[in-house]
Amino acid sequence: MVPGSALGIIPNPMSGRDIRRIVSQASVFPNTEKASMVLRILRSAGTLGVERVLLSTDTFGIAAGVQREITRLSGARSTAHVRWPKIDFLELSRPTGTAADTTAHARIMADQCSAAVVLLGGDGTMRAAVPGLGDTPMLALSTGTNNAFPIMIEATVAGMALGMIAIGAAAAPETRAKLLHVEVTRASGEVDHEVALVDACVSTSVDIGSRALWTGTHLRELYCTFGEPHGIGLSSIAGRLLPTHRTDGHGAAITLDDPRRAAHTVLAPLAPGLLQPVGVLEVGQLRPDRPRTVRLDRGTVAVDGEREIEFGPGDRVTVTLRQDGPRVIDVPAILAESTARHTLIRR
Amino acid sequence: MTQTLDRTDVDEGLTPERLLDAYRTMRSIREFEDRVHDEFATGDIPGFVHLYAGEEASAAGICAHLDPERDTIASTHRGHGHCIAKGVDIKPMMAEIFGRTTGSCRGKGGSMHIADLSKGMLGANGIVGGGPPLICGTALAAKLRGDGGVGVAFFGDGASNQGTTAEAMNLASVWNLPAIFVAENNGYAEATASTWSVSADNIADRAHGFGMPGVIVDGFDFFAVYEVAGEAIRRAREGGGPTLIEVKFTRYYGHFEGDQQTYRPRHEIGNARESLDCLKRFRERVTETGRLTAAQLDEVDAEVAQLIEESVAEAKAAPVPEAADLLTDVYVKY
Repeated sequence: MVPGSALGIIPNPMSGRDIRRIVSQASVFPNTEKASMVLRILRSAGTLGVERVLLSTDTFGIAAGVQREITRLSGARSTAHVRWPKIDFLELSRPTGTAADTTAHARIMADQCSAAVVLLGGDGTMRAAVPGLGDTPMLALSTGTNNAFPIMIEATVAGMALGMIAIGAAAAPETRAKLLHVEVTRASGEVDHEVALVDACVSTSVDIGSRALWTGTHLRELYCTFGEPHGIGLSSIAGRLLPTHRTDGHGAAITLDDPRRAAHTVLAPLAPGLLQPVGVLEVGQLRPDRPRTVRLDRGTVAVDGEREIEFGPGDRVTVTLRQDGPRVIDVPAILAESTARHTLIRR
Repeated sequence: MTQTLDRTDVDEGLTPERLLDAYRTMRSIREFEDRVHDEFATGDIPGFVHLYAGEEASAAGICAHLDPERDTIASTHRGHGHCIAKGVDIKPMMAEIFGRTTGSCRGKGGSMHIADLSKGMLGANGIVGGGPPLICGTALAAKLRGDGGVGVAFFGDGASNQGTTAEAMNLASVWNLPAIFVAENNGYAEATASTWSVSADNIADRAHGFGMPGVIVDGFDFFAVYEVAGEAIRRAREGGGPTLIEVKFTRYYGHFEGDQQTYRPRHEIGNARESLDCLKRFRERVTETGRLTAAQLDEVDAEVAQLIEESVAEAKAAPVPEAADLLTDVYVKY
């Protein structure tokens, strides 16, 4: 074991259960599989010599499942040799059962000097962790098919990249991801602030409702940090019209309209199984540090696909792209570099 | 370029009138339950009562989509909220709980058997897991009639483990019935925490095994429940089949009145009342965005308070059934 090496793991027990299971064929990701993913990360990181892992706790059986399985494996003759890191189960003094728990867990892990924190969840989980992480790098691992930001990669391999960073065999990423800052100045002068890792979308839906957005008719303005041609969700609109890489210095800004009256439309996969037409008025780059004022006078803003902010005629809403997001671990890059340096080869 | 929208461009969601209706429903349930809580302590109410306070957004958010004529609901032992949300008159409900002849069931059913078939309310139900099979029947009837009607079965986390519930979900899926299964997970089956008694991570996860979508929704958020229910009910009306909706929240009172609740964490109820309460959140949301004024909501509060006051007074003044009434209104001729 490498003394002092530590990682944080936060599996979100609530991801993958929203309205998209009714309105589309979005996947259901069982918590038992999240527990298995945690075990694979632990085993992989432990093999590389990671000494300690901080694991968030929950009331949905993920942390409990991990503890039960490690006890079982440690007691069985065939797996008794496995080198598990020491696990600290982090319990919040006042859990809320909401996204605030993810933020709180991330903050504690960052404070306790974890070399990196891996999050298992969707875009919303990743966004919730951002305020707590500070300078601690994140690895965003997807648990579902409806996400743009986290990657789908085998947890064992993710555990390898994490382990290498934790034991000092690979460098943690220095650059920060882009982040959208949505500010709403209320008529009272009060200011609400939200961030988005992928997209901020202004729609004419006046209710936050069940949060998800899945139809093209109500979308009016879309701001993206990146948009990949193979992406899913709202940022796929940018992926189809103005592909923008995660590492580009700019983002994308697109003005939208009801596809039934727009001269131009684009088909985009707004949710799993839902390839929908969206009306397009303007497409352009979103320059950093230049606030855009939302034109619509009433509606909601969705951040990373979830309606979070309701606004009315008395409110001023701005969206600003900044380069102050989390430090994100690029698993393929870390592993490619380690291969080049023969890190895991013994002669 | 400034994009100014005409009114038809905006997805208005709920109109002010419907928002007020929803608030009135939730406020009526809360006021009704708080008052029954107080009255039960005086010993004037016979039998058991199980209160729905804290869970109002579920009944209100779901029943706001239902018609009295073609849509039916089946309820639980904790049924007052479902009755009110489905349009059962409050005064006969209160009289029924007091066991008076002016009650919904002439005072013979009490809290756990309040029913009003004219409103599509099949009844509160003392049998845990008794509602879901009933809904398969009404949903099949609606399907055969072809009128787009749906059946909604409310049940708790305890009932989610009952065979009747599993059989009903299987049947509804096999027959592609317009049925909605609403698992109201308040965290406790009587005194047993659902984390101890429900084998799945979430009740909604079981939907997959029955071949239907399963969704989890924040039960303290009326707007979230309303939207999820709207999509599930629309899907069912259009022939898309059943859905399982798990509504997560907590109850403000015990399993029954008199329950000492020693099995609950000390601050659980206080925290929920303070920071999660559905009525508080509704009020904040609609007033902050200017959709309703505080004065409009205060007016509803006053109307509801007066109605509940009158209901209790009239119930107490009404006669109890006589021995000669024992066998009347018990059986139905077909």
